[in-house]
Amino acid sequence: MKAFDPVAFAIPLFVLLVFAEMLWARRNAPESYEPRDTLTSLMLGLGSTAAGAIVAGTVAIAATWLYEHRLLTVGHAWWVWVACFVLDDFNYYWAHRTGHRVRWFWASHVNHHSSQHYNLSTALRQSWTGFIALSFVFRIWPAFLGFDPVMIIAVGGLNLIYQFWIHTEAIRRLPRWFEAVMNTPSHHRVHHGVNPLYLDRNYAGVFIVWDRLFGTFTPERDEIPVTYGIVRQLGSFSLLWSVFHEWIAIARDVRSAPWRHKLSYLWRTPGWSHDGSRETSDAIRARWLERTGGAV
Amino acid sequence: MASWFPLALELGGSLAAVLGLAWTASRLQLGGDVRIRSEDAARELAEEAICGFDAVDVALDRAGIGALLRDGSGRVLLIRRHGARFAARLLDSHAGVRLDRSFLSVETSDSRFGVVTLDLGAQAQKWAGSFRRLVG
Repeated sequence: MKAFDPVAFAIPLFVLLVFAEMLWARRNAPESYEPRDTLTSLMLGLGSTAAGAIVAGTVAIAATWLYEHRLLTVGHAWWVWVACFVLDDFNYYWAHRTGHRVRWFWASHVNHHSSQHYNLSTALRQSWTGFIALSFVFRIWPAFLGFDPVMIIAVGGLNLIYQFWIHTEAIRRLPRWFEAVMNTPSHHRVHHGVNPLYLDRNYAGVFIVWDRLFGTFTPERDEIPVTYGIVRQLGSFSLLWSVFHEWIAIARDVRSAPWRHKLSYLWRTPGWSHDGSRETSDAIRARWLERTGGAV
Repeated sequence: MASWFPLALELGGSLAAVLGLAWTASRLQLGGDVRIRSEDAARELAEEAICGFDAVDVALDRAGIGALLRDGSGRVLLIRRHGARFAARLLDSHAGVRLDRSFLSVETSDSRFGVVTLDLGAQAQKWAGSFRRLVG
């Protein structure tokens, strides 16, 4: 089967939609964009594409090796494509959840969250270091089940394309049946929120049902407007700092920590510290709930 | 045609689109001119930055581009404008504090956050003196 990456074909559409959203923002919410933030986000997207091209061969070799040692041969029927898409979205949920709950993976994924804005350019704010974090491992294992690696890469691309349009404040709510099953702008705004109630929720890619199923779903509440970004806002538009700041922070923590705690700074939750001087998202939420009872 | 040519074309085209969109955002004057308009607004920003930060003392920059807040336990939070949003850092030392008449320059332990100069008017001297309580 010939390789097919739908993302490359979607790029012109991405550009057009970002432009259209800017026109919407000018009239309705000028502060939803910031030119320097937009430039950083889009350069992160461009760099991510370049980084992806560099490592694509290695990922393809790994997936092909798994496919050559597959348990089954499932073919290329239409229902196999559907099954592969659903399985890939399930894998995305767990990769994404791990990307938030394990600092090693967070160091790569934090790029996507470090903007304090939420617009279509934020969708393109992608990691340069996903390969170093080995996050692709979550997505290629279906090749061992018998799914063609070309199919896995194609459905992964479709998943990414779906997630583009949900990064917007221009759409408030969609029909209830759609909000019940699919990831939507409303659900994903929550995911990008640093409000204690919203921290580390709604990890879904395409189907929000994974969050409902695994207990990580939180609906957007109109009385709690989303504050976007990361717990400790970057305060910088530097492209390279955006890419590497968490990796540098990990290196500093590992270097200064006592020996028995060094590895914990790699695999524990972001915000964990051996001396309790920092807070995880769970601790922040618990303190907020204790103080407010969940009311605003 | 060399095998790298399509990729180079894709990246080159994407770079042109990136620069074009950033230029468009600038031309459309998106982002605006955000300011901290009141002490209550500063308190809200502090609460957003650090859950449970309950300010008992607030000093606003006269142009509204930043603020200093102190909570009941003596922690001092510096807020400054960052594009069309705000960012904040807790101060952990008085080492980077400089007073020049009504202007107070504050540097946090995060060098990336930069030096923030606030015009605090008559309050500048009082706040500069109060930083001596910070360790460091």
